Amino acid sequence: MIKLPKKKTVDKYLSVFKISFQQEFAYRLNFIMWRLRNVFQVFLAFFLWDTVFANPGMVIFGYDRAKILTYVFGLILIRSIVLSMRSVDIAPEIAKGDVSNLLLKPISYFKYWFTRDSASKLLNLTFAVFEAGILYILLRPPFFLQNNIFYILFFILSITLAIILYFLLVLLFSMPTFWFPQQSWGFMFLLMVFVDILAGGIFPIDILPSNIQNLAYLTPFPYLLFIPVEIYLGHFNFVATLRFLAASMVWIFILLFVNNKVWNLGLKSYRAEGR
Amino acid sequence: MSKLNKEIIDEAIIVENLVKNFEVTEKRPGISGSLKSLFNPKKKVINALKRISFHIKKGELVGFIGPNGAGKTTTLKILSGLLYPTSGYVQVLTYDPWDRHSAYLKQIALVMGQKNQLWWDLPAQETLELNRAIYEIPIRAYKESLDELVKLLEVEKLLSVPVRRLSLGQRMRLEFVAALLHRPKILFLDEPTIGLDVVAQQKVRDFLFEYNKKNQATILLTSHNMEDLLDLAKRVIVIDKGEIIYDGDLKELISHFAREKVIKIYLSKPTDIKRLEEIGKIKKMDFPLVSLSVPREATALASAEILQNFPVADLTIEEESIESIIRRVFRGEKIYKGK
Repeated sequence: MIKLPKKKTVDKYLSVFKISFQQEFAYRLNFIMWRLRNVFQVFLAFFLWDTVFANPGMVIFGYDRAKILTYVFGLILIRSIVLSMRSVDIAPEIAKGDVSNLLLKPISYFKYWFTRDSASKLLNLTFAVFEAGILYILLRPPFFLQNNIFYILFFILSITLAIILYFLLVLLFSMPTFWFPQQSWGFMFLLMVFVDILAGGIFPIDILPSNIQNLAYLTPFPYLLFIPVEIYLGHFNFVATLRFLAASMVWIFILLFVNNKVWNLGLKSYRAEGR
Repeated sequence: MSKLNKEIIDEAIIVENLVKNFEVTEKRPGISGSLKSLFNPKKKVINALKRISFHIKKGELVGFIGPNGAGKTTTLKILSGLLYPTSGYVQVLTYDPWDRHSAYLKQIALVMGQKNQLWWDLPAQETLELNRAIYEIPIRAYKESLDELVKLLEVEKLLSVPVRRLSLGQRMRLEFVAALLHRPKILFLDEPTIGLDVVAQQKVRDFLFEYNKKNQATILLTSHNMEDLLDLAKRVIVIDKGEIIYDGDLKELISHFAREKVIKIYLSKPTDIKRLEEIGKIKKMDFPLVSLSVPREATALASAEILQNFPVADLTIEEESIESIIRRVFRGEKIYKGK
C-alpha cells in the first residue's frame, strides 16, 4: 500500500513550490529572454534540418524530413520539461556556504530542490506549449502524431523518469563543489556536454557512429531526451520500450544510492565557509 | 530525582574535549605556484579547536569572545550541526547536533550577522510564511509569534517590502523574526550587531534581553561589540587560538584584568611631560589633561609624587575602562586561567 505523506509535509513542500513560483516571476525579463533563446534555437535547428532534407524522399540514418522535424519539435517540449530547472544553483550555493541555511532547517535538501525544480518546470512547460503552437503555425512542419495510446502512456512515463534522472545527475555533478569550491562550474559544463552529445540534445544519437552509440547506451544520458522522443515516435517495439524504461529506473536507483553516499561524505568535509 | 541527574537535565549545552581540525591546501604564490599547487597540492592541517570544554545551563546567556580566527564561529557551527567535530563529545539538548534530527533543528536557530536567509527578491513575509511551513508551526502559534516579534523589533511596515530595498539594520531585524518564529530554545548568534548603527544595535540588544528572559532561552553569542557583552552577558568564555583561556563572570574578568588604574591630571600650566613618564605610562595627552596609567598597587604613591612635583589643578583616579580591557582580551593578551 502506498503511504500518503502527512498533511504537514504536503504543506511544507507546497509552500516551497509557491515561493519558487514567485521567485521566477521576480525575474520576469530573465525568464522571457531565456524562452526567446529557446525559440531561436528551434528556428535554427529547424532550418538546418529542413535544408539538409530539402530533397523530398531523402532519408539519412533512417530519418526522413518528417521524422527529423518531429524530433526537433519534440525536443523543444521535452527540453523544457526535463532540462529546465533551478537546481543548477546548488553548486554555487555549496561553494558560497549558503547551503547552511537549509541544513539548519527541518527540511529535506533533495526534496526542497526537487520541488523548486517542479515549479520552474511547470512555468517553462506552459510557455513551451504556447511557443510550440506558434512555431507550428509559422513553420507548418510535417508533424508526426502518435495515435497508439500505449506509446503515449510510455512516453509520459519516460518523461517522468527523465525528470528524476536529470535532477539526480545535476545533484551528483554539483557535489564535487564540497571538495573543490572554486571549480563548481567546471563539473556543470561537463554535464552539459554530455547532455548535448550523449542525450541527443542537439541531434538524435542514432546518427552517431555505432561504437559511440553503444558507449552512450552504457550511460544514463540517452534516457533524458533521446529515448523519450523515440518512444513517442514509436521507433522501439514494445519489448524494447519496456527494457529502456526499466533501465532508466535502474539508473535512478543507482544514482539515488550514490548521491546519498556522496552527500553524506560531502557534508563531512563541508566547511560552511563564506564569511 | 538525584542531584546529578538534575544537573545533567539543567545543562543545555555540553562540550567536552572538542577538537576540530581543517585540512587546507596552500596555494603557492604566482602563476607557476598555481600550476604546482594544481598537481602537487601542499596540504596543511589547521587546528581550529584544541580540546575545548564548557557547559551552558538552560536559560543562560553567554558571551563568546576572542580575536578573529580564534574558533568562535567554528564552535557555533558545530553546535548547530553544520560541521562535524574531529573528536570530542558534544551534546545539545540531549542531541548530537550533526545528526540534524528535525526535532533538534526545530529547537535551535543560528543567526549570523553576515549571512541572510530572507529571500532577496521577495518581501520578507514570504520567507516567514515559508518558515512557518518548514518548521510546521501551527497557524495560531505562528500568528502569536509573528505579532510579538514584529512588535518587539518594530518591523510592521517592512514586512511587505522586497528585501533588497531594505537597509542593513531593517534587514537584520527581519532576519531575527525569520529565525525566531519557531521559538527556538537555543540561539546561536554570530556577530548579530555587525554593521548596524547605534540605534539598531540597541534595538537588537533590547530584544535579545527580552527574548532570553521571556522564553527562558539559552543564548550563546559571539561579538566584537563591547556594548553587546556588557549589556547582555553575565558570563563570558574567552577563546584564543582554539583554546579557552577564560570561562567565568564578566565582571570578575574585568576586575582581574584591570591591573592598572588611570590617573587623570589637569595641569595648571605647561610643564615637562617627559618627567611624568617616569611615574607611569602616558595614555593620552591633551593639554591641560594628561591620562597616566599606573600599576594598581602604586596608585597612592604615584599620585602623591605627582601632586608634589607638578603644577596640578585637579587630579582624579579612575578604573581602566571596560572597553579597553576587553579590547586587550580581544587582542589575545595573556589572562590567567579562569575557575
